[in-house]
Order: sequence, then structure tokens, then C-alpha cells
Amino acid sequence: MHRFANPARFLKLARPLTGWTLWPGLLLLGAGVIGGLFVTPPDYLQGDSARILYIHVPTAWLGMAGWSGLAIAGISQLVWRHPLATLAGRAIAPVGALYTALCLATGSIWGRPTWGTWWEWDGRLTSMLILFFLYLAYVALASAERERGAGGEGKMAAIFAIAGAINLPIIHYSVVWWNTLHQGQSIDLVRGESTIDPALLWPLLLTVLGFTLLFCAIVLMRMRADLARTRLEMRLKRQATEAA
Amino acid sequence: MMMRPKNQRLVLVSAALVALGLAALLALWGLQDRAAYFVTPSEIVAGKLEPGQSARLGGMVEEGSLQQLDDGVSVRFSVHDGDKAVAVTHAGILPDLFREGSGVVAEGRLGPDGVFIADRILAKHDERYMPPELDHLETAAETVER
Amino acid sequence: MNHWAFVIAAYGLTLGATALLLGLSAVAMRRAEADAEAVTRR
Repeated sequence: MHRFANPARFLKLARPLTGWTLWPGLLLLGAGVIGGLFVTPPDYLQGDSARILYIHVPTAWLGMAGWSGLAIAGISQLVWRHPLATLAGRAIAPVGALYTALCLATGSIWGRPTWGTWWEWDGRLTSMLILFFLYLAYVALASAERERGAGGEGKMAAIFAIAGAINLPIIHYSVVWWNTLHQGQSIDLVRGESTIDPALLWPLLLTVLGFTLLFCAIVLMRMRADLARTRLEMRLKRQATEAA
Repeated sequence: MMMRPKNQRLVLVSAALVALGLAALLALWGLQDRAAYFVTPSEIVAGKLEPGQSARLGGMVEEGSLQQLDDGVSVRFSVHDGDKAVAVTHAGILPDLFREGSGVVAEGRLGPDGVFIADRILAKHDERYMPPELDHLETAAETVER
Repeated sequence: MNHWAFVIAAYGLTLGATALLLGLSAVAMRRAEADAEAVTRR
């Protein structure tokens, strides 16, 4: 676990990884978007509005994957006191919040022409909105804790991230447990089944992969920026004490 | 037996996680009925709704049941859930995706005669996506399967 | 109802936000790393 604990060692890995995630991510996303907009046929029932699928699903996945990342960072901080865990949490949270908001927005835009409504309080939509509020609370909590300074660095935020993860299975199973306006899941990863016809499915795989790589690139860049700022601060502090 | 602090914390976090999961499960169990977005025709037939009580009704639009009423603006159709069916009337526009044999959610109230009076109709689609030319093939295959 | 307006709005919003966030993060990272480098070398 502590192999990448050393910031220098982490940076040695993070620097090349930023490029390796950024450029393939852009390429895959570009191919997926072109495929989803211009190449695939429209859906038999929903027509062209079904193309929103190719960006709505990745944003939902990133919103949930982002919180999984926060929870994992929280556990590794509480249990192993991993020094990069707070840093990772700080880097992930606003990005996850943005993609959750984009999921809600694209879903709303999609709901109008298909369901006939921008918003309904069904189980799936409500639990996703709760995830967005959880992100906002996490960001507020983490920054408040950081301002208070040393001592239990980010412990509250870590506990909050772990507790909030209970919302993830609720989002996932909301369409199974309760009857909802939102349709059931199309892709069953465990069984490897999909109710999306192969002719309509392939751009989705490209955009999910592309968005995921770009998400990683953004988080890596944010972590590097954060580390550099900390380094600068410490350097300036030391120079000030040396000068005094 | 003494545990290393790291393992102690691991056990503590795991125990907290299990407790949290159980608590959430209990809460959801209690919520089950109220978190439902709509009631089904079977539940209405079983008398779950009082006449006049506002609710949402969800199910499939029965094939061939859609008819225009004499007043020129109202429609009447039947919503079923594979078991029971309830008649629905609606005065107003239907959403684009409203189709016989497709999903629908009607918002309104139960009339005294057992007919559901909808103020608003939402279309509900399922999780299948496919190109238009495959549509009739799939439907045919399903009909044969049945 | 023309669906393309909805499709373009959803794509524009998501891709625009992604591009903006990528750009801002890249600029912030470059600046922070350059600043840190400058102080270290001094």
C-alpha cells in the first residue's frame, strides 16, 4: 500500500500516466461521439433522442465511480493512514460532483422528449440527486477540515465518504426494488448481457472508456497541482525561517 | 491477543460498514411502499386506492384499447400489468412516445366508477434499444415465443 | 418534436464542461509545477 506513498514516487508514475490517459481518452471519446451522433441508426422507439444514451450513461458511471474512489480513499486513510488519500479525495470530489450534475442535466434533457417531463421524483432520479448533494457536503466538509489545519487531517471527510457509499447500491438497485419511471438497467456486467442491440451499443463502449480515461487524467492533473502547491508552500516557509 | 493498530482500525471500519449496511437495509425495508413511484393495476383492483385519492398508475397500454371519446378531446385506454387491467381516461395531449403495447404512467385519481381519470400522461420506455428495421423482427420473435 | 435540439444540448453541455475542466486543470497544474520548480531552483 505504501509503495506509492512517497510523493516523489507517486509523481514518477503520475507524470507519464497523465499523458497516457489524456490522449487515448480524447481519441476514444471523439470516436464514440462521432459514432453515436452520425453513424448509428436511431432507436426504433425513441428515434434520435436515444443518442443521449452515449453521454448520459458515462456521466452516471463517473458520478458513482467517483464516490467509490472517495470511499476507497477514505478507507485507506482511516486504516492505513495513507498520506495520499486526503489528496486523492480532494482531487476527485469536485470532478465527481460535476459529472453527477451532468448526469442529472442530460437525463432531464432526455426525459423531456421521451417521458414527457423534465423531472419526476422517482427512486432513480431522487437517489442520484442525493448523490450530488453528498458530493457538495463532502467538498464543504473536506475544505473546512483542511482550514482547521493539522490533527486528524480529513478524518471526518473520510468517514463521511465511507458512510455515503451506502447510496451507491441504492442508486443501482432503485429500478429493481421500486417501480420507477426510469427504465431498468440495459447492461448486466455480471451476466454479460445487454438489451442494447450491438448496432447501437459500440459507441457507448467508446464513450464510457473515453470519459473514464479523461476523468483519470483530470484527477491526476489536480493531484499533481495540489502536490506542487504544497511543495511550494513548504519551500517558501523554510526559506522564510532561514532568512529570519 | 493483541492486534496491531492497523488491523484494529481495519476491524473497526469493517464493523462500522456492516452496521451501516444493516441500518440502511432496515430503513429501505420501511420505505419500500412509499418509495414506489406508481401503483399497478393489480393493486387498484385489490382496492389499494380509495376513489378520489390522487395517485400515479403505471403499466402497459393494452393493444387496441385506445379510443377517442365523443367530446373530441378525451381519450380512453386500458392499462394492464399482465394480470389485471384498469381503464384510464385523459383529456389532453399524449406524449410522443405514447404507444399501444408500450409503458405508461398516468397521474390523476380513481373515479367512483373504477375508471382512472388522468390529468397527465407520461411515457415509460423499457431498457431495450435497437435499430428501427429490427423492431418488427423482434416483436415477431417474441410473439412466436409466447 | 425535433429531437436533435435536445441531443445537441446534452452533448454540448457535457463535452463543453469536460473540455473546460480539462483545460483549467491542465493550466493550473502547469502553473503550480512551474512555480514549485522555480522556487526549488532558486
